[in-house]
Amino acid sequence: MVDESDTLPNLIHRIQKSSRLYTTEFHVHKIITHEDVLRLKGSLLSKDIDLPLPLGERKIAIPMDVTLKAYIDFGHFTERNVECNGTHITILLPDPKVVMTSSKINQEEIKEFVGLTRSHFTDKELTNYEQQGRRAILNSVPEMGIVEMAQENAARVLVPMLVEAGYREENITIAFRKDMNIRQLINSNLEGL
Amino acid sequence: MIRKIKIAAYMLFAIVAVMLVVWLMKSIRQTDITIAADNRINVTPNQLTSIKAIGEWEFLAIANEELVDTVRKGLFSDDHLVRIYYGTVRLGINMHQVEPGWLKTSGDSIEVTLPPIILLDRDFIDEARTKSFFESGQWSHKDREALFRKAYRKMLQHCLKPENILSAQQNGEAQFRQMMKALGYEHVSVKFKSS
Repeated sequence: MVDESDTLPNLIHRIQKSSRLYTTEFHVHKIITHEDVLRLKGSLLSKDIDLPLPLGERKIAIPMDVTLKAYIDFGHFTERNVECNGTHITILLPDPKVVMTSSKINQEEIKEFVGLTRSHFTDKELTNYEQQGRRAILNSVPEMGIVEMAQENAARVLVPMLVEAGYREENITIAFRKDMNIRQLINSNLEGL
Repeated sequence: MIRKIKIAAYMLFAIVAVMLVVWLMKSIRQTDITIAADNRINVTPNQLTSIKAIGEWEFLAIANEELVDTVRKGLFSDDHLVRIYYGTVRLGINMHQVEPGWLKTSGDSIEVTLPPIILLDRDFIDEARTKSFFESGQWSHKDREALFRKAYRKMLQHCLKPENILSAQQNGEAQFRQMMKALGYEHVSVKFKSS
Protein backbone atom coordinates (compact mmCIF):
# COMPACT_ATOMS: atom_id res chain seq x y z
CA MET A 1 0.00 0.00 0.00
CA VAL A 2 1.34 3.40 -0.90
CA ASP A 3 0.38 6.20 1.37
CA GLU A 4 1.19 9.45 -0.33
CA SER A 5 1.60 11.98 2.38
CA ASP A 6 2.29 15.68 2.16
CA THR A 7 4.55 15.95 5.13
CA LEU A 8 7.11 18.34 3.71
CA PRO A 9 6.75 22.01 2.90
CA ASN A 10 7.69 23.44 -0.45
CA LEU A 11 11.14 25.02 -0.46
CA ILE A 12 11.57 28.22 -2.42
CA HIS A 13 9.61 30.44 -4.76
CA ARG A 14 11.61 33.08 -6.59
CA ILE A 15 9.40 35.60 -8.32
CA GLN A 16 11.00 37.64 -11.04
CA LYS A 17 9.43 40.39 -13.12
CA SER A 18 10.53 40.09 -16.71
CA SER A 19 9.83 41.08 -20.27
CA ARG A 20 10.84 38.24 -22.53
CA LEU A 21 9.47 37.55 -25.96
CA TYR A 22 9.74 33.82 -26.61
CA THR A 23 9.87 33.37 -30.37
CA THR A 24 10.88 29.79 -31.08
CA GLU A 25 10.12 26.49 -29.40
CA PHE A 26 12.19 23.34 -29.91
CA HIS A 27 11.27 19.85 -28.79
CA VAL A 28 14.13 17.42 -28.32
CA HIS A 29 13.83 13.70 -27.65
CA LYS A 30 16.65 11.69 -26.15
CA ILE A 31 17.01 8.17 -24.90
CA ILE A 32 19.52 8.15 -22.10
CA THR A 33 21.23 4.78 -21.90
CA HIS A 34 23.57 3.47 -19.30
CA GLU A 35 25.15 0.08 -18.93
CA ASP A 36 27.60 -0.96 -16.31
CA VAL A 37 29.31 -4.25 -15.77
CA LEU A 38 30.74 -4.93 -12.36
CA ARG A 39 34.48 -5.38 -13.01
CA LEU A 40 37.35 -6.61 -10.92
CA LYS A 41 40.04 -4.02 -11.53
CA GLY A 42 43.52 -3.43 -10.22
CA SER A 43 46.91 -5.08 -10.12
CA LEU A 44 47.81 -8.45 -8.71
CA LEU A 45 51.43 -9.56 -8.37
CA SER A 46 52.52 -6.66 -10.61
CA LYS A 47 50.02 -7.64 -13.31
CA ASP A 48 47.09 -5.39 -14.29
CA ILE A 49 43.75 -7.11 -14.22
CA ASP A 50 40.34 -6.04 -15.53
CA LEU A 51 37.82 -8.85 -15.40
CA PRO A 52 34.03 -8.66 -15.77
CA LEU A 53 32.22 -10.39 -12.94
CA PRO A 54 29.65 -13.01 -13.95
CA LEU A 55 25.99 -11.93 -13.74
CA GLY A 56 27.14 -8.42 -12.78
CA GLU A 57 25.59 -6.47 -15.63
CA ARG A 58 22.99 -3.71 -15.41
CA LYS A 59 21.36 -1.76 -18.22
CA ILE A 60 18.84 1.03 -18.35
CA ALA A 61 17.21 3.16 -21.07
CA ILE A 62 15.45 6.36 -20.01
CA PRO A 63 13.39 8.23 -22.64
CA MET A 64 13.31 11.98 -22.10
CA ASP A 65 11.58 14.91 -23.84
CA VAL A 66 12.85 18.44 -23.49
CA THR A 67 11.47 21.84 -24.49
CA LEU A 68 13.91 24.62 -25.34
CA LYS A 69 12.77 28.14 -26.06
CA ALA A 70 14.63 31.06 -27.60
CA TYR A 71 13.72 34.54 -26.46
CA ILE A 72 14.55 38.22 -26.82
CA ASP A 73 14.90 40.08 -23.55
CA PHE A 74 12.98 43.35 -23.69
CA GLY A 75 13.77 44.16 -20.06
CA HIS A 76 16.25 46.85 -21.07
CA PHE A 77 14.55 48.02 -24.26
CA THR A 78 14.82 51.82 -24.50
CA GLU A 79 14.79 54.56 -27.14
CA ARG A 80 18.43 53.64 -27.81
CA ASN A 81 17.13 50.46 -29.48
CA VAL A 82 14.97 52.50 -31.87
CA GLU A 83 16.08 54.58 -34.79
CA CYS A 84 13.40 56.63 -36.58
CA ASN A 85 14.31 58.21 -39.86
CA GLY A 86 11.21 59.88 -41.25
CA THR A 87 8.83 57.08 -42.16
CA HIS A 88 11.48 54.37 -41.74
CA ILE A 89 11.98 52.64 -38.40
CA THR A 90 14.84 50.40 -37.32
CA ILE A 91 14.64 48.31 -34.17
CA LEU A 92 17.94 47.00 -32.84
CA LEU A 93 17.23 43.97 -30.69
CA PRO A 94 19.37 42.37 -28.01
CA ASP A 95 20.91 38.97 -28.76
CA PRO A 96 18.55 36.01 -28.47
CA LYS A 97 18.98 33.69 -25.53
CA VAL A 98 17.99 30.08 -24.99
CA VAL A 99 16.40 28.47 -21.96
CA MET A 100 15.27 24.94 -21.20
CA THR A 101 11.69 25.50 -20.08
CA SER A 102 10.78 21.90 -19.31
CA SER A 103 11.97 18.33 -19.36
CA LYS A 104 9.93 15.19 -18.86
CA ILE A 105 11.11 11.70 -18.09
CA ASN A 106 8.81 9.11 -19.62
CA GLN A 107 8.70 6.96 -16.50
CA GLU A 108 6.34 4.38 -17.98
CA GLU A 109 8.69 3.64 -20.89
CA ILE A 110 11.87 3.16 -18.85
CA LYS A 111 13.42 -0.24 -19.54
CA GLU A 112 15.92 -1.82 -17.21
CA PHE A 113 17.79 -5.07 -16.81
CA VAL A 114 19.57 -5.97 -13.61
CA GLY A 115 21.93 -8.93 -13.26
CA LEU A 116 21.51 -11.48 -10.49
CA THR A 117 24.42 -10.23 -8.40
CA ARG A 118 23.48 -6.55 -8.71
CA SER A 119 21.17 -4.29 -6.76
CA HIS A 120 18.43 -2.30 -8.48
CA PHE A 121 19.11 1.23 -9.72
CA THR A 122 18.73 3.64 -6.83
CA ASP A 123 16.86 6.92 -7.08
CA LYS A 124 20.17 8.77 -6.75
CA GLU A 125 21.65 6.86 -9.70
CA LEU A 126 18.57 7.48 -11.85
CA THR A 127 18.56 11.22 -11.19
CA ASN A 128 22.31 11.32 -11.87
CA TYR A 129 21.83 9.71 -15.33
CA GLU A 130 18.93 12.08 -16.07
CA GLN A 131 21.03 15.11 -15.14
CA GLN A 132 23.83 13.89 -17.42
CA GLY A 133 21.31 13.49 -20.28
CA ARG A 134 20.03 16.99 -19.65
CA ARG A 135 23.57 18.40 -19.80
CA ALA A 136 24.23 16.51 -23.04
CA ILE A 137 21.20 18.20 -24.64
CA LEU A 138 22.27 21.64 -23.43
CA ASN A 139 25.75 21.06 -24.81
CA SER A 140 24.28 20.27 -28.23
CA VAL A 141 22.28 23.52 -28.41
CA PRO A 142 24.91 25.38 -30.52
CA GLU A 143 24.43 22.85 -33.33
CA MET A 144 20.66 23.32 -33.45
CA GLY A 145 20.61 26.72 -35.17
CA ILE A 146 18.32 28.16 -32.53
CA VAL A 147 19.67 31.71 -32.65
CA GLU A 148 19.04 32.27 -36.37
CA MET A 149 15.48 30.99 -36.07
CA ALA A 150 14.87 33.06 -32.95
CA GLN A 151 15.89 36.19 -34.87
CA GLU A 152 13.63 35.39 -37.83
CA ASN A 153 10.68 34.61 -35.61
CA ALA A 154 11.21 37.76 -33.53
CA ALA A 155 10.74 39.74 -36.74
CA ARG A 156 7.55 37.76 -37.45
CA VAL A 157 6.08 38.95 -34.15
CA LEU A 158 7.36 42.53 -34.19
CA VAL A 159 6.73 43.50 -37.82
CA PRO A 160 2.93 42.94 -37.63
CA MET A 161 2.96 44.90 -34.36
CA LEU A 162 4.67 47.88 -36.00
CA VAL A 163 2.36 47.60 -39.03
CA GLU A 164 -0.55 47.73 -36.60
CA ALA A 165 1.06 50.85 -35.09
CA GLY A 166 0.96 52.54 -38.49
CA TYR A 167 4.32 51.79 -40.13
CA ARG A 168 4.48 50.37 -43.65
CA GLU A 169 6.03 46.91 -43.77
CA GLU A 170 8.73 47.95 -46.25
CA ASN A 171 9.80 50.75 -43.91
CA ILE A 172 10.49 48.43 -40.96
CA THR A 173 13.91 46.95 -40.21
CA ILE A 174 14.52 44.53 -37.37
CA ALA A 175 18.25 44.38 -36.74
CA PHE A 176 20.58 42.32 -34.58
CA ARG A 177 24.27 42.54 -33.87
CA LYS A 178 26.17 41.36 -36.91
CA ASP A 179 29.51 40.49 -35.44
CA MET A 180 28.45 38.00 -32.85
CA ASN A 181 30.12 34.68 -32.48
CA ILE A 182 27.13 32.34 -32.48
CA ARG A 183 28.73 29.50 -30.53
CA GLN A 184 30.13 31.78 -27.86
CA LEU A 185 26.88 33.70 -27.65
CA ILE A 186 24.78 30.62 -27.05
CA ASN A 187 27.14 29.19 -24.49
CA SER A 188 27.37 32.41 -22.56
CA ASN A 189 23.63 32.97 -22.68
CA LEU A 190 22.43 29.46 -22.10
CA GLU A 191 20.43 29.20 -18.95
CA GLY A 192 19.75 26.41 -16.56
CA LEU A 193 23.09 24.72 -16.72
CA MET B 1 84.85 -30.47 0.68
CA ILE B 2 81.32 -31.89 0.67
CA ARG B 3 80.61 -29.89 3.81
CA LYS B 4 81.68 -26.66 2.06
CA ILE B 5 79.43 -27.43 -0.93
CA LYS B 6 76.50 -28.08 1.44
CA ILE B 7 77.07 -24.74 3.21
CA ALA B 8 77.26 -22.90 -0.14
CA ALA B 9 74.04 -24.61 -1.29
CA TYR B 10 72.29 -23.65 1.96
CA MET B 11 73.47 -20.06 1.61
CA LEU B 12 72.32 -19.91 -2.01
CA PHE B 13 68.97 -21.36 -1.01
CA ALA B 14 68.66 -18.80 1.80
CA ILE B 15 69.49 -15.91 -0.56
CA VAL B 16 66.94 -17.11 -3.13
CA ALA B 17 64.34 -17.56 -0.36
CA VAL B 18 64.94 -14.03 0.98
CA MET B 19 64.72 -12.60 -2.55
CA LEU B 20 61.47 -14.48 -3.13
CA VAL B 21 60.00 -13.22 0.13
CA VAL B 22 61.06 -9.63 -0.67
CA TRP B 23 59.53 -9.91 -4.16
CA LEU B 24 56.33 -11.38 -2.75
CA MET B 25 56.05 -8.67 -0.07
CA LYS B 26 56.60 -5.96 -2.68
CA SER B 27 54.03 -7.50 -5.02
CA ILE B 28 51.47 -7.84 -2.26
CA ARG B 29 52.06 -4.22 -1.25
CA GLN B 30 51.48 -3.17 -4.86
CA THR B 31 48.36 -5.28 -5.16
CA ASP B 32 45.26 -3.15 -5.44
CA ILE B 33 41.99 -4.79 -6.37
CA THR B 34 38.67 -3.00 -6.50
CA ILE B 35 35.23 -3.89 -7.76
CA ALA B 36 33.97 -0.96 -9.78
CA ALA B 37 31.25 0.07 -12.19
CA ASP B 38 31.09 3.06 -14.53
CA ASN B 39 28.63 5.85 -13.68
CA ARG B 40 28.61 7.66 -17.00
CA ILE B 41 25.81 7.49 -19.54
CA ASN B 42 26.42 6.36 -23.11
CA VAL B 43 26.64 8.83 -25.98
CA THR B 44 23.24 8.81 -27.70
CA PRO B 45 21.78 11.20 -30.30
CA ASN B 46 19.54 14.14 -29.46
CA GLN B 47 16.60 14.03 -31.81
CA LEU B 48 15.03 17.38 -32.71
CA THR B 49 11.38 16.37 -33.02
CA SER B 50 9.71 19.72 -33.73
CA ILE B 51 10.37 23.43 -34.19
CA LYS B 52 7.58 25.94 -33.75
CA ALA B 53 7.38 29.71 -34.15
CA ILE B 54 5.73 31.17 -31.08
CA GLY B 55 5.01 34.62 -29.71
CA GLU B 56 4.84 34.32 -25.94
CA TRP B 57 5.56 37.46 -23.96
CA GLU B 58 6.54 36.65 -20.38
CA PHE B 59 5.97 39.22 -17.65
CA LEU B 60 6.41 37.12 -14.52
CA ALA B 61 8.52 34.01 -13.90
CA ILE B 62 8.18 32.09 -10.67
CA ALA B 63 11.07 29.71 -10.11
CA ASN B 64 9.99 26.90 -7.87
CA GLU B 65 11.62 24.15 -5.85
CA GLU B 66 9.23 21.58 -4.47
CA LEU B 67 10.14 18.97 -1.90
CA VAL B 68 7.79 16.02 -2.33
CA ASP B 69 7.72 12.73 -0.48
CA THR B 70 5.86 9.49 -0.44
CA VAL B 71 5.68 6.92 2.35
CA ARG B 72 4.91 3.21 2.21
CA LYS B 73 3.77 1.82 5.55
CA GLY B 74 5.39 -1.47 6.49
CA LEU B 75 4.97 -3.96 9.31
CA PHE B 76 8.29 -3.15 11.00
CA SER B 77 9.43 0.03 9.28
CA ASP B 78 8.22 2.53 6.69
CA ASP B 79 9.78 3.14 3.29
CA HIS B 80 10.38 6.71 2.17
CA LEU B 81 11.13 8.42 -1.10
CA VAL B 82 11.89 12.13 -1.03
CA ARG B 83 12.73 14.14 -4.13
CA ILE B 84 13.23 17.82 -4.96
CA TYR B 85 11.62 18.97 -8.21
CA TYR B 86 12.47 22.20 -10.05
CA GLY B 87 10.23 24.20 -12.32
CA THR B 88 9.49 27.73 -13.51
CA VAL B 89 5.93 28.90 -13.93
CA ARG B 90 5.75 31.61 -16.59
CA LEU B 91 2.91 34.13 -16.81
CA GLY B 92 2.34 36.44 -19.74
CA ILE B 93 0.44 36.91 -22.98
CA ASN B 94 0.29 34.99 -26.22
CA MET B 95 0.87 37.42 -29.07
CA HIS B 96 -0.98 35.09 -31.42
CA GLN B 97 -4.15 35.94 -29.45
CA VAL B 98 -4.09 39.69 -30.13
CA GLU B 99 -7.17 40.88 -31.98
CA PRO B 100 -7.22 43.14 -35.05
CA GLY B 101 -7.01 46.77 -33.98
CA TRP B 102 -5.16 45.97 -30.75
CA LEU B 103 -2.99 49.04 -31.35
CA LYS B 104 -4.82 52.30 -31.98
CA THR B 105 -2.74 55.37 -32.74
CA SER B 106 -3.71 58.99 -32.88
CA GLY B 107 -0.85 61.48 -33.29
CA ASP B 108 1.51 60.94 -30.36
CA SER B 109 -1.00 58.76 -28.47
CA ILE B 110 -1.39 55.01 -28.62
CA GLU B 111 -3.93 52.67 -27.05
CA VAL B 112 -2.77 49.07 -26.53
CA THR B 113 -5.25 46.26 -25.87
CA LEU B 114 -3.49 43.06 -24.83
CA PRO B 115 -4.90 39.54 -24.51
CA PRO B 116 -5.41 38.22 -20.95
CA ILE B 117 -2.54 37.01 -18.80
CA ILE B 118 -2.23 33.23 -19.03
CA LEU B 119 0.04 30.43 -17.98
CA LEU B 120 2.35 30.41 -21.00
CA ASP B 121 3.31 26.75 -20.89
CA ARG B 122 1.66 23.91 -19.00
CA ASP B 123 4.91 21.95 -19.11
CA PHE B 124 7.03 23.86 -16.65
CA ILE B 125 8.82 21.23 -14.56
CA ASP B 126 12.44 20.45 -15.40
CA GLU B 127 12.21 16.84 -14.29
CA ALA B 128 15.70 15.97 -15.48
CA ARG B 129 17.05 18.41 -12.87
CA THR B 130 15.33 16.54 -10.04
CA LYS B 131 17.43 15.74 -7.00
CA SER B 132 17.02 12.57 -5.04
CA PHE B 133 17.00 13.57 -1.39
CA PHE B 134 16.28 10.33 0.46
CA GLU B 135 15.29 6.79 -0.42
CA SER B 136 14.60 3.76 1.68
CA GLY B 137 13.01 0.64 0.26
CA GLN B 138 12.46 -0.03 -3.40
CA TRP B 139 10.34 2.27 -5.55
CA SER B 140 8.91 1.79 -9.01
CA HIS B 141 8.85 4.20 -11.95
CA LYS B 142 5.10 4.41 -11.41
CA ASP B 143 5.73 5.77 -7.89
CA ARG B 144 8.09 8.38 -9.36
CA GLU B 145 5.48 9.42 -11.90
CA ALA B 146 2.98 9.85 -9.04
CA LEU B 147 5.51 12.05 -7.21
CA PHE B 148 6.01 14.15 -10.34
CA ARG B 149 2.25 14.72 -10.62
CA LYS B 150 2.10 15.69 -6.97
CA ALA B 151 4.93 18.22 -7.44
CA TYR B 152 3.14 19.58 -10.53
CA ARG B 153 -0.11 20.11 -8.63
CA LYS B 154 1.70 21.79 -5.74
CA MET B 155 3.64 24.14 -8.02
CA LEU B 156 0.47 25.18 -9.84
CA GLN B 157 -1.32 25.68 -6.54
CA HIS B 158 1.50 27.83 -5.14
CA CYS B 159 2.21 29.89 -8.25
CA LEU B 160 -1.05 30.39 -10.11
CA LYS B 161 -2.50 32.84 -7.59
CA PRO B 162 -4.58 35.93 -8.40
CA GLU B 163 -1.90 38.19 -6.89
CA ASN B 164 0.73 36.74 -9.23
CA ILE B 165 -1.54 37.18 -12.24
CA LEU B 166 -2.15 40.77 -11.16
CA SER B 167 1.59 41.32 -10.70
CA ALA B 168 2.24 39.95 -14.22
CA GLN B 169 -0.45 42.26 -15.59
CA GLN B 170 1.02 45.31 -13.86
CA ASN B 171 4.50 44.47 -15.10
CA GLY B 172 3.17 43.85 -18.62
CA GLU B 173 1.51 47.24 -18.56
CA ALA B 174 4.75 48.91 -17.42
CA GLN B 175 6.83 47.06 -20.02
CA PHE B 176 4.52 47.92 -22.93
CA ARG B 177 4.31 51.52 -21.76
CA GLN B 178 8.12 51.74 -21.71
CA MET B 179 8.37 50.13 -25.15
CA MET B 180 5.78 52.39 -26.74
CA LYS B 181 7.52 55.43 -25.24
CA ALA B 182 10.77 54.15 -26.77
CA LEU B 183 8.93 53.99 -30.10
CA GLY B 184 8.13 57.69 -29.72
CA TYR B 185 4.58 57.77 -28.33
CA GLU B 186 4.04 60.35 -25.58
CA HIS B 187 0.68 59.18 -24.30
CA VAL B 188 0.33 55.44 -23.83
CA SER B 189 -2.71 53.58 -22.56
CA VAL B 190 -2.41 49.85 -21.90
CA LYS B 191 -5.30 47.58 -21.01
CA PHE B 192 -5.85 43.84 -20.87
CA LYS B 193 -8.79 41.86 -22.20
CA SER B 194 -10.53 39.97 -19.46
CA SER B 195 -10.15 36.20 -19.61
